[in-house]
Amino acid sequence: MEQRQLGKHVVQYSGAYSFCAGCNSCEAICGLVHDGVVSPSYNRLFIERGGTRDMVCHLKSCQQCLDHPCYEACPKKDVAMCVDENGITYVNEEYCVGCGACQRACVYEPARINLSAAHKKKERKSKKCDLCRTRKNGPACVEYCPVRCLGVSTEPEGQVTDPKLDVAAKKLSVFTGNLGDKTPELAADSAN
Amino acid sequence: MPNKTIDEVLNNPENKDKLYGYVGQILRLNLTTKTSEIVSTYKYVPKYLGGRELCNKIFYDEVPPGTDPFDPENKLIYMTGATTATGIPTGGRTEMTGIAANNLPSQYSFSGIGGWIGAEFKFAGYDGIIIEGAADSPTYIKIDDESVEFLSAEDEWGLKVHDTQRALNDKHGYDFKCMVIGPAGENLCRNASITTSNDNVMAKSGFGAVFGSKKLKAIICRGTGVVPVANIEKLLELRLKMGDPYMRVSPLQPQTVQGLPGGEAEGNWVRGNISCSHGCNQHCNCLMMGTKSVFADEDINHVEKCVSPVAYGFMNDIPNTINANWMTEQNHMQPCKLLSREFSEPDPTDPYFEEMTAPILPDIFNFWKPDFDKGNMINELCNEYGLDKWDVLIWLLPWLAMGQKEGVFDDIDFGMPVDVESSEFVAHILESIAYRKGKYGDILAEGMARAIRTLGKEKFGETNYSGRFSQILGKPLDLPISMETAWGHSFHWQGRGFEATITKPTWLATTIELMTSSRDMQTVEHHHDKYENHIKAVVAPYDSQVLVDSIIMNENKGEMKDSVTCCEWQSPDIYWSSMEAEMYEAATGYPMTEAELNQSAERSKLIYRAILIRNFERSRKMEVEAVWPGISIPDPWGEVADWDGFNRLVDRYYDTRGWDRETAWPYRETWQRAGLDFIADDMEKIGKLPTK
Ligand code: SF4
Repeated sequence: MEQRQLGKHVVQYSGAYSFCAGCNSCEAICGLVHDGVVSPSYNRLFIERGGTRDMVCHLKSCQQCLDHPCYEACPKKDVAMCVDENGITYVNEEYCVGCGACQRACVYEPARINLSAAHKKKERKSKKCDLCRTRKNGPACVEYCPVRCLGVSTEPEGQVTDPKLDVAAKKLSVFTGNLGDKTPELAADSAN
Repeated sequence: MPNKTIDEVLNNPENKDKLYGYVGQILRLNLTTKTSEIVSTYKYVPKYLGGRELCNKIFYDEVPPGTDPFDPENKLIYMTGATTATGIPTGGRTEMTGIAANNLPSQYSFSGIGGWIGAEFKFAGYDGIIIEGAADSPTYIKIDDESVEFLSAEDEWGLKVHDTQRALNDKHGYDFKCMVIGPAGENLCRNASITTSNDNVMAKSGFGAVFGSKKLKAIICRGTGVVPVANIEKLLELRLKMGDPYMRVSPLQPQTVQGLPGGEAEGNWVRGNISCSHGCNQHCNCLMMGTKSVFADEDINHVEKCVSPVAYGFMNDIPNTINANWMTEQNHMQPCKLLSREFSEPDPTDPYFEEMTAPILPDIFNFWKPDFDKGNMINELCNEYGLDKWDVLIWLLPWLAMGQKEGVFDDIDFGMPVDVESSEFVAHILESIAYRKGKYGDILAEGMARAIRTLGKEKFGETNYSGRFSQILGKPLDLPISMETAWGHSFHWQGRGFEATITKPTWLATTIELMTSSRDMQTVEHHHDKYENHIKAVVAPYDSQVLVDSIIMNENKGEMKDSVTCCEWQSPDIYWSSMEAEMYEAATGYPMTEAELNQSAERSKLIYRAILIRNFERSRKMEVEAVWPGISIPDPWGEVADWDGFNRLVDRYYDTRGWDRETAWPYRETWQRAGLDFIADDMEKIGKLPTK
């Protein structure tokens, strides 16, 4: 896939920095803070579990593509699928008709957009990462990942090894808030 | 088609209490008729919480006396808890019960498992499943939200555990979660386990063999529905508070050794801390990365937990401190921190610090020398065949090591000379058992307790091993070559055998906990209490009410954690006794005090007891005789239990429980106190309701 221009999005750091425990708490917390439920149809980010030979988990999250094909594909663009003043593409669910065009337009495999309650067409809603844009502490998945292997960056997935080395993340202090300055000491601590 | 929405769950007319946390349906799966049926969860909850308490109730209602483990009439009942798939830490733990293949005598028992399958069942709309009947040919069950299919497992029968998981996922997609058996389960090895993702197994009780007897190779499930949570704010608070999480980074850690202290084997691997189940905030399982596979010319990762290090070298028992069981507010830590190596800083200003943390030196055994590759091999073979590692590592292999040194196998042809130091021999014996190869493979596949009786208990069970050496006394001590404790299980924090480094009040407590159970209880009732209670109990442990209260507290917590559900490794928190009630209330919205939850735990224990009394002739005589031989072996200080003293403690325990001293059967008022009047009536009818 050609290198895409990406906005701020949730990334998973490498195991050398902090190894994903595979707990799926990020998925659960995502559904809870947005919809009050835990469900594979509601989370807006996905943990892909490795097979029986490796069992390593990888995060699959919305990359907030700057050309936002999902937004472009939405028949109710700017009403249902919107882009805010910080460049975050988000869904205004009240107006979402659940047609799934955004999900089909996602260039990633698997698509990074979920569709809830798909058996009831009228209630179907697009569930897409909005970086918890209205939440004071930023993305809840980042805040509640017990091993702090999640953060926010503009780098493509799999390429941010360590928040301390991520130039983009340093500029985004609002989103790395809970990693904080203590992280390097804690990392050293934990490695001992 | 996806399952329930939040409104559909909450507005279910049967959900009269408007409970969150549950999804409202139990799926009954009949393998004989290949049919399924929905049972309402609200018929049972909130009174019978969920998890093991709910399993107990359903088993009591549905399985009559006279049923054996491999009869089609035996039912395996599997339940999640109200906290499962809610994001409340440790709620991913789930429970299975039924008549166990691997206890002696055969009795009703249970087994816990983590993984992601429990959460998936809830997403599919089921709080649990009841497996009944038996198929006439290899079968697996595919659950895809509302759709339930009984499919032929002819292609998968014979496959090892991971090959089965891969075959089913390749066929149906990787978003299906599964529980599967390996060759050991198919061949009715009594210590066969059931495995789900990340090598999470239910091993104790041998339900893998019960799957095998029902020709059930696997259950796979995919769910897309919702699990509603009552109090999200509280849930978030619990996530930060439970297990005192450090919320710190957890880098991969290159390692150069693996094994118990004193038996560490040199070898290179990488340690990744991982969670065992959906939504946990801890990561106490160890992903061993980059080890050689026995079955393919490649490196693999495998998940190991508490007993696996024994495989790498077993030279002596585990060193310990009193503080591991008895703690102070200044020095207490959840056991999951031990497993993930995230120890909290000890506080030496604690006035009891020195006495609590003084090392208890372990006995020396010299069972087998450190060998990294062999250790990996043993663990992988157990994982792939689907064998209970505890049985293999703590009973079978030490028995072979001790028996060989004492010459008891001189006339036995295992197909190879007995040598537990040899990878070839260990691989040969495990394969013989898993596939019931040869006379002795077949005998050992019956489980150690039965095998030793078949071979002759006096020689093959009771011969003394001359190689046990107490470092505390500086001299040898007796140990039989078979590390058998009660109910067909092996020692586990019982004060002798494996994990013996505990004080007398502690082993008396774990013995009573074992006595009133039907299996090894130390996977769910590692004894924990305040150190101040140890100080009181140690004065006269056989006559200590404090000790009896401590035993009952731990037993009730055991029932509670398997029913709410929460995890042995985070519960109980001795200095936060309402934790489990807070978890339940946050999940369901149903008001639950600590006292009410404790009453529910007592109810669970009592239904368990009712099943043991009604179906399996449980009595005081049976209980005391089951545990007595174990505690007649010297502890690391050379002390054995005193018959009169132990019986006084048993009297006190039964009195406190409200059970008759003579028979160990509860009185009517005890059943009534727990809201189980119907059981009192049943017991009266069968002549098992004692009067004062
Ligand atoms: S919460 Fe963190 S550790 Fe858990 S699955 Fe998500 S990224 Fe991995």
